[in-house]
Amino acid sequence: MSDKQVGVISCSGEECLGGTLSRLATRKVMENLRSKEVVTLCLPLYIAGGDEEREFAREYPVISVDGCDKCCAKRATVKYSNEVKDSINLSEIFSQEMMLANIVSGRDLKEEHYEMADQVADEICRKVDQILAE
Amino acid sequence: MNKSYAVLPCNGLDKCSGSISKEVAEMLSENGESEIICPVFYRIAETRYNKLATEKPLLVIDGCATRCASKLAVEKNLKISEKINITDEAKHNNIILGKSLRLNENELKLAKIIFEKLTTEEKLDTAAKDIFDFPMDINYEVYKKDKFVFRVPTNEGFYFNENDVWVYIIGNKARIGVTDYVQKSLSDIMYFTPASIGNEVEQFEDAGSIESGKAVFEIISPVSGRITAINNKIIESPELINQNPYEQGWIMEMELSDFINDMELLHDFESYFPVLKRKVDEFHG
Repeated sequence: MSDKQVGVISCSGEECLGGTLSRLATRKVMENLRSKEVVTLCLPLYIAGGDEEREFAREYPVISVDGCDKCCAKRATVKYSNEVKDSINLSEIFSQEMMLANIVSGRDLKEEHYEMADQVADEICRKVDQILAE
Repeated sequence: MNKSYAVLPCNGLDKCSGSISKEVAEMLSENGESEIICPVFYRIAETRYNKLATEKPLLVIDGCATRCASKLAVEKNLKISEKINITDEAKHNNIILGKSLRLNENELKLAKIIFEKLTTEEKLDTAAKDIFDFPMDINYEVYKKDKFVFRVPTNEGFYFNENDVWVYIIGNKARIGVTDYVQKSLSDIMYFTPASIGNEVEQFEDAGSIESGKAVFEIISPVSGRITAINNKIIESPELINQNPYEQGWIMEMELSDFINDMELLHDFESYFPVLKRKVDEFHG
């Protein structure tokens, strides 16, 4: 197993399904799929001035996971640390219209939403593995 | 009817407490007219939320001691109406937070407890105000040091702890605040973070905090009991504590659980006044 680590900075947005799915997918990668290889960066803390988060994003490759075309996670990383190594925009995997749907609570999610989150989690893992293989 | 807020949660993705902040915000939004401010998008596009943040009372929900949501509110110059810290609430409710962001039964229970507190506070607050008979005329002894004047109430019923927090007792009810020594040492008080109504507090346990540009002062409760009211005026105008911490700047009210024992570790005016003078001489000497 590689000692190299990859940061994942995810939209933790309110208001839209894309934010909820980004959060779910990143959580799954962090807790289950790539727990040793991935460090998640807390976006609210990162933007608020978290030195450790920003420093990590300067030194390690980072994948941004955004829920919609606003790309808050990617933009923040570029602004405060560095270019992202790779990025995922859920509205490109699914559709912008679907990602902006007003479903934010975990209690409202249906099986199809969890399947979408799994798909995003797999995509994050694919990119993590690609970076680690370089 | 439930209280309606503009809710600013931390939404952290690092700790379970961030997930609980999101959960509480969603409960408030789903069960009333509260609306959520996304802490990330607000930084990027503040015009999206400016109207909401000023039209409704602002509830800030921080997950941990980093207080990202509070910092954001300060940065945007927002007036905070109420603040909740999930980690503190967990401690008060004896709930140990796990590491997973997937909330377990206890963590969901905590979210529900916080939600219910937030939506019933107003009723408790009003009830407590109706039954507390605070004296209209307070007599003060004054100690002067250079240009500074330090007042201490001499009325019977006032007690003080070594942490410079006062308590006024009527029957099994208490009103609590900080002394002149605290407010003058802190200088301009800018924030008040209240403890939650309904919380059980032990003597000498933290019960909220006040903050100036100089420091944060943890309010160490002089008595044990249940918090029944918070002075909402100082949430909106913490400067009232500087104006008079004994009258309009009082902090909270409690129902006492063991004052006979608590009293043994408190000062009355006669024994507190020399303590105050010594502290003033040391601090402002």
